[in-house]
Amino acid sequence: MNWSFMIVAMLPEHLLLAGIVVLITLDVLEVGEKHAASVAMGAVMASALIAVSLAIVQFQGSPFPGHFSVDQPTMVAKAVVLALALPILQLSRDEFGEDERFYILLLSSLYGVLLVSSSDGFLTMFLGLEIMSMPVYVLVLLAYKRHEAAEAALKYLVLGGAATAMFLMGASLVYGSTGSLALDAFVKAAQAGDTLASVAVILVLVAFFLKAAVVPFHAWAPDAYEAASVPVTGFMAVLIKAGVLLAVVRLVGQAKLGSPLVELIAILPLISMVWGNLAAMRQTSFRRMIAYSSIAHAGYLFYAFLGDGPTRMQAVIFYLLAYGLMNALAFASLPAGPNDERRDRLDALKGLYQRQPYAAILLGIALLSLAGIPPFPGFVAKFLIFKNVIAAGYTTYAVLGLIGSYLGIYFYLRVIQLMFMGSQPESAPSQGRIAITAGVLCLVPTVALTVFPGVFIGLLGR
Amino acid sequence: MSEPAVLNLILFLPVIGMVLLPLARSDGMVRQVTFWVMVLQFILTLWLYVKFQAGVAELQFETRLPWIAQWGVHYHIGLDGFNVLLVLLTAFLGPLVVAGAFSAITKDVKLFYAMVFLIQFTMLGTFLAQDLFLFYVFWEAMLIPMFLIIGIWGGERRIYATVKFVLYTAFGSILMLAAIIYLVYSLQQGTGVSSFSFADLYRHKLPVDVQGWLLAAFALSFAIKVPIVPLHTWLPDAHVEAPTAGSVILAGVLLKMGTYGFIKLGFPLFPEAARAATNWVMLAAVVSIVYGACLALVQTDIKKIIAYSSISHLGYVMLGLASLDLIGIQGAIIQMVSHGLTAAGLFLMVGMIYERCHTRELAAYGGLAKILPVYSVFFMILTLAAIGLPTTSGFTGEFLVLLGAFNSAWPIYQAGNSVPLVMTVIAVTGVVLGAMYMLWFAQRFLFGAVKAPHAPLVDLNGRERAILVTLVIAVFWLGLFPNGALRKTEVAALQYQKWVEVAGKPPATARASSMSVQEAAR
Repeated sequence: MNWSFMIVAMLPEHLLLAGIVVLITLDVLEVGEKHAASVAMGAVMASALIAVSLAIVQFQGSPFPGHFSVDQPTMVAKAVVLALALPILQLSRDEFGEDERFYILLLSSLYGVLLVSSSDGFLTMFLGLEIMSMPVYVLVLLAYKRHEAAEAALKYLVLGGAATAMFLMGASLVYGSTGSLALDAFVKAAQAGDTLASVAVILVLVAFFLKAAVVPFHAWAPDAYEAASVPVTGFMAVLIKAGVLLAVVRLVGQAKLGSPLVELIAILPLISMVWGNLAAMRQTSFRRMIAYSSIAHAGYLFYAFLGDGPTRMQAVIFYLLAYGLMNALAFASLPAGPNDERRDRLDALKGLYQRQPYAAILLGIALLSLAGIPPFPGFVAKFLIFKNVIAAGYTTYAVLGLIGSYLGIYFYLRVIQLMFMGSQPESAPSQGRIAITAGVLCLVPTVALTVFPGVFIGLLGR
Repeated sequence: MSEPAVLNLILFLPVIGMVLLPLARSDGMVRQVTFWVMVLQFILTLWLYVKFQAGVAELQFETRLPWIAQWGVHYHIGLDGFNVLLVLLTAFLGPLVVAGAFSAITKDVKLFYAMVFLIQFTMLGTFLAQDLFLFYVFWEAMLIPMFLIIGIWGGERRIYATVKFVLYTAFGSILMLAAIIYLVYSLQQGTGVSSFSFADLYRHKLPVDVQGWLLAAFALSFAIKVPIVPLHTWLPDAHVEAPTAGSVILAGVLLKMGTYGFIKLGFPLFPEAARAATNWVMLAAVVSIVYGACLALVQTDIKKIIAYSSISHLGYVMLGLASLDLIGIQGAIIQMVSHGLTAAGLFLMVGMIYERCHTRELAAYGGLAKILPVYSVFFMILTLAAIGLPTTSGFTGEFLVLLGAFNSAWPIYQAGNSVPLVMTVIAVTGVVLGAMYMLWFAQRFLFGAVKAPHAPLVDLNGRERAILVTLVIAVFWLGLFPNGALRKTEVAALQYQKWVEVAGKPPATARASSMSVQEAAR
């Protein structure tokens, strides 16, 4: 085990860390305030490029055995996460300008996501999860535009803390029943079947359900999404969700799941799809609607674990990419309003096509893809997950899940209906600025993924 | 250019047109660009139709490229006897739809024609696809442009109608998606090959009970699209609220996607289950024929009359498919095209009168023959074609279907089961009912005391006449010379019959009998 190997294996993380250090230095010295966003962008971009190159050369190994390891799928996952962070960062630049604190927190959280997706033991995973979550509690509050933000951030903090506690408790019980803190102890505990082990498994799973906002542990999400500013909501919907799901991929691995565990990770996500989609129909706030939509999408994502071992990683990464791109695209093409509350109202989108046709078309594409209507990437992603579920023999769950996803079509269409068929509101809002660069950053891969989904699926391997 | 390249060009012309549209500077230019692209598409399609060889069972002008190689998904298109007429019909109606909307659509013109292009693309793609994944993508993507066409340019209750249309259709498709995944998965289990190709899937034999489930899922999706009673309730709303162009596309082509689904996929993929369900399909067909006709009889909105008549006419298609008799199957294919022509024509004509009088209430009209003579002549011709008067396309279709149904019911009757025969006889009453509602409609509309809102009215202008003349020529061409079309579809009909595995008659007698039909038509 030599030093260069250890540095290269964690190079994406190190680059983020370097970015954070530079930003802190800039903040302390009070110089170069104008370049905070560019530094952050640069760090993430460099980190993404390194991840892509390491994935291409099929770099693999374990610099810290039992704690941290990388292989090709992990590197692809990291590259996807980092690439998804780019439009969100661009979006923040438009919203927040050059506030260093914002980028420091965002990069720290991103560091946590990367750490989680490489973790091999409960300790590393715990570190990663905390590094990932802590900054977000602050981000929700930072540069808040509404008074409810404080309440939402507190709620998020308390429930996030509860999830952390449950994870720790579960991890310690896993240790108690199997004598190991490696992640594969989780599956062993699930197969053991005694009370101690079952409690451990349930605690750990519930912690992840809480973090991913799966019904009935979802109540924090709509409040937090609504109260946070647009880029932070985008960050939570895309990257935090990605981090949690990648953690579950590490946790479950390629093991064959037995009977009680299968029901656990099928039934609550199924309820999540149905409830998320039903509740989204009634929302009047765009971000609340996206929150419920993300609750439903958490359901589809957990379904990926019903598939056979080797297919899980591929399905989760592809889904995260499609889903993340679409959310980022939706937030990028959402026109700015006179104030945050007005901007967030679905009514404000009425007649958008008349005012800003391209914003309406982009938002429409994002929503149709989220609804899983072909030919957009959301459809291929959903197809991949349900294909794996059926191939693993859970046809009934697949059919129920598809019906659950059908329920989601209506509320996405409702937004399109408002944009294209609604008449202009009385006091027609003026042309809101939309984040063009961020939009293009999402649109190009979206088109590529629509026309050539096969290429990317090929990259993910069998 | 080689033929496969032309076929690809035909499919992607609408996309090219859509890309051109944002460059157009005025609404007039948008209309011109759309129209001429559509005309070009039709000319190319006609050329391919002429080149299409009758009597060849294989796909013609085929293109096959890997798309998602890991799953065995291919971009695979080609012409065969099943889709050749429907592709021609779609391309034929394209320019007419565009020209028909010149004066009616004044709001968001660019978006409108972009959506017409998009729906043309998805419809052609659905017919041409020879890969189940590709088929599903086109099938489902069609919802997007139609949702917008009805929802933006429709009538008063357009939002309700368009949401209902999408939710209905999407429900069918979501179960079909589950069935598709299962079907492909079981193919992979059975043969070790992951493939979505129709040809591979036809060869794959499934246990009968599995076939039943899968057929049910496919059939639900197709039956909603056709639509078959009792899944038809979205249709009148969608038709009434849609702008004229939307109704023409819906009635002209979209509904045929459902029947095409049955003939190309539903029945041949699951032959044993299909055979077991024959009587039920017949029942659904007969109910659709009679119930649709009865509903058409009592409507007071002229668009609704034609909408319900569509349900009735597509019932014949289903009857022909269920008969599993060669003549019946060919009749079903002809009936699809014939209905596409007449319903499209009638909806266009309703649109023309609506532009002048701004109402669709039948009671507001009367004696149009006196004030709009040219309009009335065209309307009468299309009415007679719709009720299947000999020499028109409607006759060829309905007559062949009923002949086929009797052909297949008679031996069963002699064997002691009279159910199919009784159903066929009931289906014949649909012809009488059809004549009743259409003629009664024409009588109240065209004859009697003169009344029309917003009189004095101007008779059809040159553009409108040109559209209708083109349609009427097509109606008579299919009525008088169906032989060319029948020959191009014959092998496909035989294949369908063989796949669903009924002892077929040799092709020679079939050709002879279809010839005698044509003579009877004269």
